[in-house]
Amino acid sequence: MGNKSALTPILIVIVGFLTISPVLMLIFGSFSEGFGTFSGFTLSKYVEAYTDPELSAVLLNTLVFTLGSAAVATALALFLSYMYTRTNIPFKFFFGVISIIPMMIPHILFSISWVLLLNPSNGILNRYLMELFELKKAFFDIYSLPGMILVEGLLDLPVSYLIIAPAMSAFDVSLEESSRVCGAGTLRTFTRVTLPVLRPAILASVILVVVRCLASFSVPSVIGMPGRIYVLATHIYRIISTGFSADYGKAAAVGMSALAAAILLIYLYRYLTSESDRYVTISSRGFKPAIIDLKGSKYPLLGFVGLISFVLIVLPVLVLFYTSMLPYVMVPSAKAFSLMSWRNWLEVLEDPISLLALKNSVMLGLVGATLGVILSIFVSYVIVKVRTRAAGVLESLSFLSFSFPGMVIGIGFMWFFVRTPLYATIWALLIGYIAVYLPYGIRPLSSAFVQIHSHLEESSKVCGASSFTTMRRIVIPLLIPGILSGWILMASIFMRELTVSVVLSRPGSEVLAVQILRFSEDGLWGRLSALGIIMILISSALVTAASFLGKTLAKGRSPAE
Amino acid sequence: MKKWVVLLLSVVLVPSAFASDLALAKKEGKANFYANITAVEPIMQAFTSAKGVEGVYVRVSTAKYLATVLTEFEAGKLQADLLQGPLPILEMLKGKGVLTPYRSPSAAGYPAWARKDDTIMQFGIEYVAVIYNKDLVKPKDVPTRYMDLTNPKWRDKIVMPDPSSHATTITWLVGLKEAKVFPSDKAWMDFVEGLAANRPMFVKSFSPTPGPVESGEKLLAISMPKYIITHAPAPLDWARTGTLLGTPRGVAIAAKAPHPNAARLFMDYWLSKDAMKLLADKVGEYVLAPGVYPPIDGIAKAKVVPIRELSDAEIRSWGEKFKKIFFAR
Amino acid sequence: MEIRIKGLTRDYSSGGKGIRALDHIDLTIPANRIFTLLGPSGCGKTTLLRCIVGLESPDSGEIAIGDDVVFSRERNIFVPPEKRGLGMVFQTYAIWPHMTVFDNVAYPLKSRKVPMEEIRTRVARFLDFVQLTGFENRPSTKLSGGQQQRVALARALVAEPKVILFDEPLSNLDAKLREETRKELRSFLTRLKITAVYVTHDRVEALALSDRIAVMRAGGIIEVGDPKKIYFRSDSRFVADFIGRANLIKGKVVALEGAHGIIDTDIGAIAGLNNQNIAPGRNAMLCVRPEFIRLTTSGVTEGRNVFRGKVETLLFIGEAYEGEIRIGDTRITTTVPPTVDAVEGGDIQISFDADHCFLLPA
Repeated sequence: MGNKSALTPILIVIVGFLTISPVLMLIFGSFSEGFGTFSGFTLSKYVEAYTDPELSAVLLNTLVFTLGSAAVATALALFLSYMYTRTNIPFKFFFGVISIIPMMIPHILFSISWVLLLNPSNGILNRYLMELFELKKAFFDIYSLPGMILVEGLLDLPVSYLIIAPAMSAFDVSLEESSRVCGAGTLRTFTRVTLPVLRPAILASVILVVVRCLASFSVPSVIGMPGRIYVLATHIYRIISTGFSADYGKAAAVGMSALAAAILLIYLYRYLTSESDRYVTISSRGFKPAIIDLKGSKYPLLGFVGLISFVLIVLPVLVLFYTSMLPYVMVPSAKAFSLMSWRNWLEVLEDPISLLALKNSVMLGLVGATLGVILSIFVSYVIVKVRTRAAGVLESLSFLSFSFPGMVIGIGFMWFFVRTPLYATIWALLIGYIAVYLPYGIRPLSSAFVQIHSHLEESSKVCGASSFTTMRRIVIPLLIPGILSGWILMASIFMRELTVSVVLSRPGSEVLAVQILRFSEDGLWGRLSALGIIMILISSALVTAASFLGKTLAKGRSPAE
Repeated sequence: MKKWVVLLLSVVLVPSAFASDLALAKKEGKANFYANITAVEPIMQAFTSAKGVEGVYVRVSTAKYLATVLTEFEAGKLQADLLQGPLPILEMLKGKGVLTPYRSPSAAGYPAWARKDDTIMQFGIEYVAVIYNKDLVKPKDVPTRYMDLTNPKWRDKIVMPDPSSHATTITWLVGLKEAKVFPSDKAWMDFVEGLAANRPMFVKSFSPTPGPVESGEKLLAISMPKYIITHAPAPLDWARTGTLLGTPRGVAIAAKAPHPNAARLFMDYWLSKDAMKLLADKVGEYVLAPGVYPPIDGIAKAKVVPIRELSDAEIRSWGEKFKKIFFAR
Repeated sequence: MEIRIKGLTRDYSSGGKGIRALDHIDLTIPANRIFTLLGPSGCGKTTLLRCIVGLESPDSGEIAIGDDVVFSRERNIFVPPEKRGLGMVFQTYAIWPHMTVFDNVAYPLKSRKVPMEEIRTRVARFLDFVQLTGFENRPSTKLSGGQQQRVALARALVAEPKVILFDEPLSNLDAKLREETRKELRSFLTRLKITAVYVTHDRVEALALSDRIAVMRAGGIIEVGDPKKIYFRSDSRFVADFIGRANLIKGKVVALEGAHGIIDTDIGAIAGLNNQNIAPGRNAMLCVRPEFIRLTTSGVTEGRNVFRGKVETLLFIGEAYEGEIRIGDTRITTTVPPTVDAVEGGDIQISFDADHCFLLPA
C-alpha cells in the first residue's frame, strides 16, 4: 500500500505539468505589457477588460447560454438514456447511435447546417413550415439565444449521455418502486426519488456542459454574431480581432473569469456530492434493472423519439450530405439537383493535405484517447477513492485548461510549447489534446469509480492482492463501461479537435479540423461538408469498434455473467 | 533617371549572381512561407517544380498572425523564411526587427508606392466590394453607388463582417471617408448610418459573407470580389459602385531566415508575372504586377485604391464609434 | 384485510419465448395473518407479490383487497400502486440514499399530504416501534443492514396500510442477524394485527414466521396450509421435499390400520400416517424427516419401523452430526445427536414413530 501515498503527488505533477503550464503562460500574459508573456508588469489589461460597459450584458448572455445548453443536453440525455436502459422501446441500438452522432460532427458544420435549416429569411425548415401552416413570419429564428441553446445543447448531448446513461443503467429500480408503493405518483417519484438519486450524474453532466459552452466558439460565432448576441467567447474574439496586433493578454484576462467560474463549479460539485457513499449503487450481488413495459405508448414514444432524432440530428447530417454534392450553397430546387455531383468528394480525396490530415487525426484519436484514458483511470481513482485535499487539487487541476475559452488556451499552449523541443511536431498536439480534454476521461471514469462499492476492493485486499493487482483484477473489469465512455469521448473529440490544433498544427502535422477550418475560411462549403462526412464516418467506425470491443471484454470478464 | 540605371545594371548583373544563388537555395532545400493569404497552393507547386526548391505554405490566420510570429521569434524558433500578411502587421513585425531588407528584381514595374519600402514589398490589395446574387437581384436593382446600400429596400438583405471588431472592415469604412468617395464627411456619415439602419447581418470576417448570398439568405454582401472566382459557379457578381478600396498585402523576408537564399529565390518568383497571374487567375486576387488582373468582368477597368494603414489605436476607436452606430437599438 | 385472487395469469416474453410466470392462480389471503409465499426461485412468488402491490399488471384474472377490486382484466380495472394503500419492504430495502432516516419514514405520509405535526408524531411512534429512536437525522447511508431493514419496515408501516408486503426482506442479512430479525418481525406483526404477505425461498423463515404458507412452483400454487400442516402432513411430494430435509422411500401400500397405512419398501414394511387415504395396492412414498429418526448403537429393540444399517458418513454440523445410514441399497439421512456414539462404518439401528412419518402418492 506504500505506493498509494506516492500516487497522488505523482499524478499532481503530471496533470499539473500538462494543464498548469499553458494557463500559467496566460496568467503571465494577462499581466504583461507586450504581446509575449514576459515583459513589464501591468494591471491595465484587467482594468480595461473588466470596466468594459458591455461586459455585464455579455456575462448575462453567457449565463443563459451555458445554463440553457446544459439543461437541453442533460434533459435530452436523461430522456434518451431512460428510454434506452429502462424501457422496452424497440430499436434500442438506435438511441445509442443518435446520442453519440453530434459528437463526431465538427461544430462549425453543425452550426451552418442549422443556419441553412432555420434562418429566418430562407431556412429550409422555416420555409416548409411557413408553407404548411401559412405563416407570415418565419417559424423560428435561429439567430437568437434559444437558437444558440438548441444547437449547442445538441452538440453537447453526447457528453451528457455518456455520463448519465451508465448511471441510469446502474439505477436500483426498487428505489422508484418503493416510492410508488409509498403513495407517490409517477411524477412525484421522478422528482423526489429518480432525479435526486441521479444527482451526481446530472450535476456532472451540467457542469461539464457549462464548462464546455464557456469555451465553445462555433455556435456563438456562426449563430450568435448574426443575431448580435455576444457571449464570453465572441466577446474575446472581438477583443482579439479589433486591430491587427491581437491582444491575447487582455483576452486571457477576460478568460480568467471563465476559469474562475469553472473552478467554482468544480468545488460546488465536490461539495454537493461529498458523501460519495450515498450513491453507491452497484454492489457485488448480480443485479438487473427491471424493464418498464411501455405497452400502448411504446410506438407513440418511439415515433416521438424518432421525430426528435430525425429533426435534431439526422436532418442536419442530411443537409451536410446535400451541401457536399453542390458546387455552392443553395436551397433545394430543380437547379440544385441538376448541379449535383461528386466533385467535392473527389477533390477532397485527391487533396494530399486532406489525406495527411486524415491520417494524423486518426493517429491522434487512437493513441491520444488510449493514453488519455490510462491517465484518467489513475486520476479518477485518486479523486474518488483517496479523497484527500490533494485529490481535490488534482480534480481542479484537471479542469484548468479545459475551462479556458478555446481560442485563448491555444495561445497558452503555443507560448508554452515554443519553449520545448516539441514545438511544431505532432507530439505537441497529442500532449495538448490530453491536457485540455482530460475531464472527458475523468468524468465517466469517476462516475464508474463512485459506483464501485469499496467492499469489492476490500474483499480483494483481504485475499492478499496488492493495490495494483486489485486495480487490474477487480476494479478494471467493473470499470469497462466507464473506460469505454471515456475512450469514445476522447477519441471522437481528438478526431475533430480544433482549438489547440489551429495554433499548433504546422505543415506535416495538419489535422482534420484545421483542414475543415481552412475550407470554411475559403467558403468551400461543399468540400467542407464532404470532409466532414468522411470524418463522421471514420469516427463512427472507431466508436462502433470500441463499443463492440468493450462489450466483448465486459462479457468475458464480468463475474456476474 | 538614376533609378533606371541602377535597375538596368542590376538586370545585367543578376544572371551570374542568380545562378550561384539558385545552387545555394537548392542546397537549402525549401522556403517556409508564412501567409494569411488563402488558396495559394498552385503557386507553391509551380514554384517547387520550376525551381527545384520546395515551397512550404504555412497558413496562419490574421487574428493569430502576430501572436504566432512574435512568440516564435522571441523564443528563437521562427521557422519562416518569408512572411506575407496585411501591411499593418508587416509594419509591426518590421518594428520588432523580425524582417530584413531585400529588393527583388521582379518588383520592377510595380507601382512606386508598392515598393517605397526596402523591406516590405506590396504586391496586392485585399479589395472590398459589394457582392450580390445575380439570380435574385434584378439588373436594374444592382447598386451603382455606395449610397444605394442605404436604400430601405435592402433592409435585412445585407450581410457584412462585424463593423465594430473586424479590422479590415473598420479600415474599409474609414477608407471610404478618407479617399473622398463621398462628396462630404456628412454624406459619408449618412451612408454609414443608412447602412446601419438597414440592419445588416454581422459575421465574424469576410469569409462567411458570400455563403448567405449564394444560398439566397441575403442578397448583398460587403465582401470581396475574389469570391466570384473561388466560389464559381455560384451566381455572384460585384456591384460597380465606383472606387474600390482595400488593405495592401505585403511580403517580406525574415531577418533570421533559416533558408535565406531560398527565401530570396521565392520572393523573386512570388513577385514575378507568372506567379501573380496564377494568384489572379486561381484566387481572384487583385495584384500589383503591371497588366495582370483577375478574370472578373470589369475589374481591369476598376479603380482599386489602397487604404491608408490605420494604427490599432485608431481601429479600436473607430470600432467603438461604429459599435454605437451599428448596434444602436 | 382479506386479499382474494382469482384466475391470475401473467406472461412474459423473453428473447422471443413466452414464459408463463403465473398460471391461473386462485388464492385467498386471510386478514390480519402473516401469509407466506414460499417457493424456489423462478416459481412466480415475487411476480405474484408485485401483482398484488400493483408494480406489475397481470394478463388476466382479478385481485381484490378487502372490498376493493384493485385489478380486473375483465372489467378493465387497474389501480396504480400509489392508490392501493399498501406498504412494502423490498429485498434491497430501497432506502433512498439522498434522505435521512426521518425523511425516508415520513415520505409515505408526505405523499398523502398529512399535516407536518402529525407526520412528526407518527414517524416518532414508528421509529420507536422499530427501536430506532434517536436516528431521525442520520443519513440513511450511514445505517447497518439491520437498521436499514428496520427503517424500511417503519416506512412500510407508517401510513398504516391495509396490507404490508415483504419481498425476501431478510436475504441480505447475515445468518445471526437474520434469525434475530425474524423473531422481531414476527412479534411486530403479531402485535400490529395486520395482513402481511411475505415472500421467501427460505423454508425455515417461512415456518418460523408464518400463520399460513402457500408453496409455489412453476407459476402455480401447490399447497396452502399452516406451517405444521405443511411440514408434517404435506399433500405433495414436492412440498414435503422442499419444506425440509426428508427421506422419501418408495414402495406399495399393502394394508390400512386406522389412520396409518402400511407400505412395503426395499427395506421392509413401514407404517405411516395415511392422510390422503391411499388405497392398498397403489404405489406410494413414505416421507420421514431426519430429526424424527432415533438411533441406537446398543441393545436391540424389535417392533414396527425399526431397521438396522451401517453408518456411511458422519458430518459434524455444530449442534449435531448429519449422518447417512445405509440399509441395503437405501440411504437415509438422519440427525445424530452428539450423545449417540456412532462411528463411520459402525452398525446402527434406526427407528421412528408411525405418527412421525406419512405417506404420499407416488
